Amino acid sequence: MKLGRIWNTLANPKRIPRFYSVIVGLVLIAGFIVPMAYDNHQLYPRPTPQLQIDEQDPFAPYDRGGAPLTEPGIVKSQYPQFAAKQGYVTGYLSPISILVSNTTLYFGTSIYSSPGGLIDEILYYSRGFDTVLESSILMMAFVVASWVALNFTMKRKED
Amino acid sequence: MDISILGGPILGIIPLGDIVLYFTPFNLFMFAAALAFTALIAISSTESQVEAEFGTLKNREVKVDKAEFKLRRFLAIVCGLATAGAMVTGDLFDFTLFVTLIGIVNIGIVAAVKEIDVLDAAFQYGLIAMIGTLPLFGGAALVLAATGTISLLQIVQIPYTTSLMAFGSILFFLGVAGETGVAPFFATKAEMFRTPGSPFLLIIHLSSLLVIVRTIEILLIINKPF
Repeated sequence: MKLGRIWNTLANPKRIPRFYSVIVGLVLIAGFIVPMAYDNHQLYPRPTPQLQIDEQDPFAPYDRGGAPLTEPGIVKSQYPQFAAKQGYVTGYLSPISILVSNTTLYFGTSIYSSPGGLIDEILYYSRGFDTVLESSILMMAFVVASWVALNFTMKRKED
Repeated sequence: MDISILGGPILGIIPLGDIVLYFTPFNLFMFAAALAFTALIAISSTESQVEAEFGTLKNREVKVDKAEFKLRRFLAIVCGLATAGAMVTGDLFDFTLFVTLIGIVNIGIVAAVKEIDVLDAAFQYGLIAMIGTLPLFGGAALVLAATGTISLLQIVQIPYTTSLMAFGSILFFLGVAGETGVAPFFATKAEMFRTPGSPFLLIIHLSSLLVIVRTIEILLIINKPF
């Protein structure tokens, strides 16, 4: 087959996603033979799995310690000099959260744990710009979807 | 591979917690180009195309109506701002988010046309952008796992390159290709059906070009081939 024919076959919007997913699939399969050498000094470390649960900690697996506004909890960041107040609100609990955490051992995985319970400082403080961008992506997706739905999807058969 | 070899001396940084935006002459030039083009788009209006009719000597004017025009201008401005942000960000995950924002907005620009053929092309582009998020975020996550950090200013100081870092950056490149790299293809295919063209379509090409250039810079920072 000539090269020009191959290009012409590819120049069809319907074929491009299939072609692309075949390439992604091949690369992912090739990834099985890549040695998985992870770095041991991770920026955002996690405690050992089940460690806090075995300690009967009601905040497991998200316990970071600390008292609000007085003693910082355990929150690491890449540039501590740019996040001076880090960890000071990690230990904040709303009154409902305090009530629930006193009655059950599974507070950390319940719906009470956010928001107003365990505030995730990585999400809202040291990497807060990412959260802004994520919400913008969601907003743009809704703008596009609602505009398309309002303008053509209903009328497609009439065209 | 030092940042100063790739882009010149670092002129300044904007620290947003862990996300540090840095400015070198190279990045600053692309940032300014994206912003200048966005400003041009914000003040421009659609071109109306004049078509010669077959069989008569009359002309037909093809115009874009106002609602369509407004949405496409809005999406084009957001796309330009996201491109400008992607040029100066010094954080790998932040860059992937900017690229995803560009991809979503590109789908909107291609899809906001009242032609069924164009909508079909936009649907295919939406599929490829959704598939592309897997290698994009997977690649960034593998680079984080292999280096322990996602700040480019920290990655550049790591003296070695592991095979996992190379594999992560290959996935990352595939993801960028899927999110914005194929956008000009779909825009051009759609433009063939869409005669009332507009200046807004050009932002897709510009953002794709700038993002690919920046991606290559990031790949050189991660892999240090020289």
